Amino acid sequence: MRTARIVLVVVGVLVMAFGAFVLVTTVRPNRIGGLATWLLAAVVLHDAVLSPFVVLVGALLRRAGRRLRTWSLVVAQAAVVLGCVLVTVVVPEIAAKAHGRQNPTVLPFDYGARLLVVEGVLLLVVVLALVVGARPAAGRRPARTASYEQVVEPTTSR
Amino acid sequence: MVRRLLLDARSAMASPNRNARSAVVLGRLLGIAFLVCFATGVFSHLLQEPLPGMRFPTRPVRIYQFTQGLHITAGIAIIPLLLAKLDAVMPALAQTPPVRGVLHLLERLSIAVFVSAALVQVFTGLLNTYQWYPFPFPFRQVHHALAYVLIGSLVVHIGTKLPIIVRYWRARDSYDQHGRFVADRTVGSELLPDGQEAERASAPDAAADQSAGSYPRGLTGRVLRWVDGVPTSTPRGDGPGSRGASRPTAEATQGRRERIARRGFFAGVAAATVGVVALTAGQSSTLAEPFNVFGARQRHRGPAGLPVNRTARAAGVLATATAADWGLTVVGRDVSRTFSRAELVALGTAQVDLPISCVEGWSQMATWRGVRMRDLLAAVQAEPGSHVRVTSLERHGGYRVMDMGPEYAEDPTTLVALEVNGETLDLDHGFPARVIAPGRPGVLQTKWIEKIEVIA
Repeated sequence: MRTARIVLVVVGVLVMAFGAFVLVTTVRPNRIGGLATWLLAAVVLHDAVLSPFVVLVGALLRRAGRRLRTWSLVVAQAAVVLGCVLVTVVVPEIAAKAHGRQNPTVLPFDYGARLLVVEGVLLLVVVLALVVGARPAAGRRPARTASYEQVVEPTTSR
Repeated sequence: MVRRLLLDARSAMASPNRNARSAVVLGRLLGIAFLVCFATGVFSHLLQEPLPGMRFPTRPVRIYQFTQGLHITAGIAIIPLLLAKLDAVMPALAQTPPVRGVLHLLERLSIAVFVSAALVQVFTGLLNTYQWYPFPFPFRQVHHALAYVLIGSLVVHIGTKLPIIVRYWRARDSYDQHGRFVADRTVGSELLPDGQEAERASAPDAAADQSAGSYPRGLTGRVLRWVDGVPTSTPRGDGPGSRGASRPTAEATQGRRERIARRGFFAGVAAATVGVVALTAGQSSTLAEPFNVFGARQRHRGPAGLPVNRTARAAGVLATATAADWGLTVVGRDVSRTFSRAELVALGTAQVDLPISCVEGWSQMATWRGVRMRDLLAAVQAEPGSHVRVTSLERHGGYRVMDMGPEYAEDPTTLVALEVNGETLDLDHGFPARVIAPGRPGVLQTKWIEKIEVIA
């Protein structure tokens, strides 16, 4: 185990060093500065913006989850996650198309309209899951101490 | 103060999904996807910039269509998997103390490199498939260099986490008979619960329900109690005893709860991965074509039912490519010949089915008609095994000049194409003549050619 770990770390460091070598030999120094900004921004964006956001959404889902049947929370959650990932992928596509394209065969669709339709369908799925899967409101109060058990713990998105 | 903040952050992040086993499961999938992207990416790079003496396979003719389609599809699948993995390891962000020594600092730095390289690599790669370059660095060179940095830091990461990976490789070693995560403090996972939660984890007979006591003090604790609907004064439920004899044991309840949370999480990740791949892969796979909702390309769209990357206008060949005196010069060692388009058409009786496959992932099969490259080379008495250089009318651009090894030049399916799908080549497809060869990236299928030289 120890030997394997040392070999892996050494090989990995060598490959990283080769990547750095390729970088400095093929990319002009002023462009590497731009890359460094993007690399740093990626970590900051993830650690300082995305993670707290996900924790917040997770907490809200966790609270909402107490009033839901398990399957409906799972369905709603899967739809939310897919919706978020599609936004991540398609919004840059919309921006790219708005920015101008080389020819009509590049980015041929109306991605804004298509995203709205797909997100609308996903929203419908979420709403249906929440409505159909809601626990009966009457049993909520007493349930908290006796018959009700919180089955679903934080099942955070992403 | 900082420690308190970090501990609060960790309790806010605590979740049955965020444990070493989830990290291992997602890490395996992500590792496979990264290796697939790396291997197919290096293959694509070498095709475009071969090392001296390299030869490449020309069969199956769809090889590049397959590897590059895989590259883009796996790259898109990485997006949800990477976000899920970063989510699963989130508590490690807020570990206390933040740094435990020089080795630990180096390890955390290597992870920072890994995460930032992965995010930038995947996101700029996605933008490249949209042909949009809003970043202040050249795409191709940086994508190539970052690939090694990324794979290197992945290998380092596997090396540093190896004991955890081995410990939680199998599900049956990761969960007890009730389905609860087994917290093993000996392998150095940074995702284990700390403080009172740790005591709970190490004392299986403690009340499985989170009691009020397991919440942190202060505002964070209050918020978490609100989230879970636990009153501040009385702990929710009175432990297993109040639940009646027919109730399952506390361990079983806890295990069931954790299992459902995990399955819900992985259901979400699976839905996102399958969904995003299915809705975009139609550009590179006929299988997913009916679901091509968000693909950057659509098959059968464009002149002669074939998409276009670089137009004649963008290449600056509108005048030269339509000039009446255009001719294709073929230069051998001793003999040189120039063919008019009419002469080429008279010779051009060969017909082949070859895909056009772009580095950006889209691809499409087409039927080409033209003159075999090897026949043209024979006309200038080129020796067998000759390397060939093809020059385009394009005035600038990295692919104006293209070199071709003998494996392509002598292949019977390599054509100087004059027609595609039964029509004369469209100006945007390379009129008056272009190269089409098996198993090569689209950028090397040079359009608007004017010269073919034997170079070695």
